[in-house]
Amino acid sequence: MIKFLLKRVLEFIPVLLIISFIVFSLVFVAGNPVALMLPEDASQEDIERLTVALGLDQPFIVQYGKYMLDLVQGDFGKSFRYNTDALPLVLERLPATLELAAASMIIAIIIAIPLGVWSATRKNSSLDLLATGGAVIGKAMPNFWLGIMLILLFSVTLGWFPVSGRGTIAHLILPAITLGTGVAAEMTRLIRSSMVEILSQDYVRTAKSKGLRNFFVVYKHAFRNSLIPVVTITALQTSTLVGGALITETVFSWPGLGQLLIQAVNTRDMAIVQASVFTIAILVIFMNLLADVVYRILDPRIKYS
Amino acid sequence: MKTGTAILDVDDLHTYFRTEHGVIPSVNGVSFEVREGETLAIVGESGSGKSVTSLSIMGLIDSPGKVEKGNILFEGKNLTTLGKKDYRKLRGNEIAMIFQEPLSSLNPLFTIGNQLSESIKLHQKVDKKTARVKSIEMLRHVGIPRAEKVFSSFPHVLSGGMRQRVMIAMALSCNPKLLIADEPTTALDVTIQAQILELMKKLAKENSTAILLITHDLGVVAEMADKVVVMYAGQVVEHTDVYTLFSNPKHPYTKGLLNSTPKFHETEEVLASITGTVPTPSKMPKGCKFNPRCPFATEVCTTQEPVLREVADGHKVRCWLYEEKEDAI
Ligand SMILES: Nc1ncnc2c1ncn2[C@@H]1O[C@H](COP(=O)(O)OP(=O)(O)OP(=O)(O)O)[C@@H](O)[C@H]1O
Ligand SMILES: [Mg+2]
Repeated sequence: MIKFLLKRVLEFIPVLLIISFIVFSLVFVAGNPVALMLPEDASQEDIERLTVALGLDQPFIVQYGKYMLDLVQGDFGKSFRYNTDALPLVLERLPATLELAAASMIIAIIIAIPLGVWSATRKNSSLDLLATGGAVIGKAMPNFWLGIMLILLFSVTLGWFPVSGRGTIAHLILPAITLGTGVAAEMTRLIRSSMVEILSQDYVRTAKSKGLRNFFVVYKHAFRNSLIPVVTITALQTSTLVGGALITETVFSWPGLGQLLIQAVNTRDMAIVQASVFTIAILVIFMNLLADVVYRILDPRIKYS
Repeated sequence: MKTGTAILDVDDLHTYFRTEHGVIPSVNGVSFEVREGETLAIVGESGSGKSVTSLSIMGLIDSPGKVEKGNILFEGKNLTTLGKKDYRKLRGNEIAMIFQEPLSSLNPLFTIGNQLSESIKLHQKVDKKTARVKSIEMLRHVGIPRAEKVFSSFPHVLSGGMRQRVMIAMALSCNPKLLIADEPTTALDVTIQAQILELMKKLAKENSTAILLITHDLGVVAEMADKVVVMYAGQVVEHTDVYTLFSNPKHPYTKGLLNSTPKFHETEEVLASITGTVPTPSKMPKGCKFNPRCPFATEVCTTQEPVLREVADGHKVRCWLYEEKEDAI
């Protein structure tokens, strides 16, 4: 297992290199941020002086080389806006995002497991159709729309939850529901189709022929098997979750990474953009690694090689 | 011939599947009984309803299938009206089942020990430790070497033959009165087949377990069975003891089956093999369901369905050939 993990971690190095290249290229293409950094009445001379000072007049390769050199030291450069190092700013926002992601994942799991299993065991019943239809709607609802609707209903009209911000559990509930709904919908669909297939397997029939209660047949023998594809696909969708988090955080003024990133993009605070994208990339990679580990724990047939 | 009270009495069983393509009468009026300690074989081509019959007895027919009509009496209890909970108490305990596919019949995510001790714990109400001891004992009993090691192994490390031994151990762990074996050796190598059959025979004898053996291999029938039911298109076409089946088969389908088995090519009428295939439910012929493939089919066969009639003591046939003879007498 340790060998396997080590191997996987080493495999990340080229992935991170590619990501760094892409991120840097995008920023390079996005153009000179100097104009935005200076007051509006700055002279052309001022702009040029700052450009040279920041090394932004150098050719692409030189800039990239310098950037990479800094990067391996964990230095993403200074934020223009906050005038401090970018990475600590990003890491400071990370817990809020992780909190939101974890809460929405918990909500998704609580909804998706029983619903998915339950509609698979009652395949084609009207309740199954209702659940499946609900999942389609849940998936189709855009995060910003759902977020705004929830705020209007529960915060503005009913006053049950705060409109925005972070702090108490009450602050967390609406954003977590907003972000969790789409994930729950997708997971329900996955668990259902996986369970439908597993329930027709020979070993499920064997379990029934032993006289086991239906609950054990479904949750011991079938469900664990059905989780194998679910875990893999859910991990692959971490990036979708991140995308949803960007929007949800903005809607609810949730002080997380997403909010910081969107602000940074708007103000072309490129150091922060780069540090955030990099952090998110590492998160996604980490989730995939985690899925791989879970997958291996679930399925004894897989050898570490 | 063995005698004894019938422990299983299947009477006029009808199991239908209601699908989008219409009603499929997979089992259509099947009757037979299995006596204590006796082995009854059900033979017939693929699709004749053998598995559906056995799953009906186990109470494992899932929607869209349903036992529509008929009774299944097990030790006098009518299983068709038995409550779910009582049925579960029988399953894996008094009636156990072995399936055709040893490779896929064990759950890949749990150890052999986990799956084996599961039913022991459930039905014998013993603790984990006792169940473990019993399981290992059972594994040894079915001839598995290094039983302790196998106990904590996952199914994928075992061969097909070993897995089928595990299935047998699992099925017999609670000393069932009836063992239903649905083509237990079809998926195995010939040499392993003989070993598994031998094992089943030995263990069944030890505990006087009755066996309902489903197969389409007449060699297996000759080896194992006391009595035989021949099924065709969801019906019993011939029902007799194993000696009569091979020495004096009556139904043209049975004769055809025997003739397509190399060992028995010297029987009187020559039917090289049966031409054609089993009719699909949507294209069921009128009259006798076998008539399109039957070399002896007459007018009446294509219009009216024959009934299962006793032509000699304990020998029943569903065929117009024998109805006529009776009428003539
Ligand atoms: N779940 C189901 N839905 C619809 N039809 C079914 C279902 N299960 C079985 N059948 C039908 O019932 C008929 C009998 O099937 P069964 O499995 O009993 O045949 P069998 O005699 O066991 O054949 P084999 O030798 O191939 O195992 C077939 O025509 C099959 O299509
Ligand atoms: Mg079958």
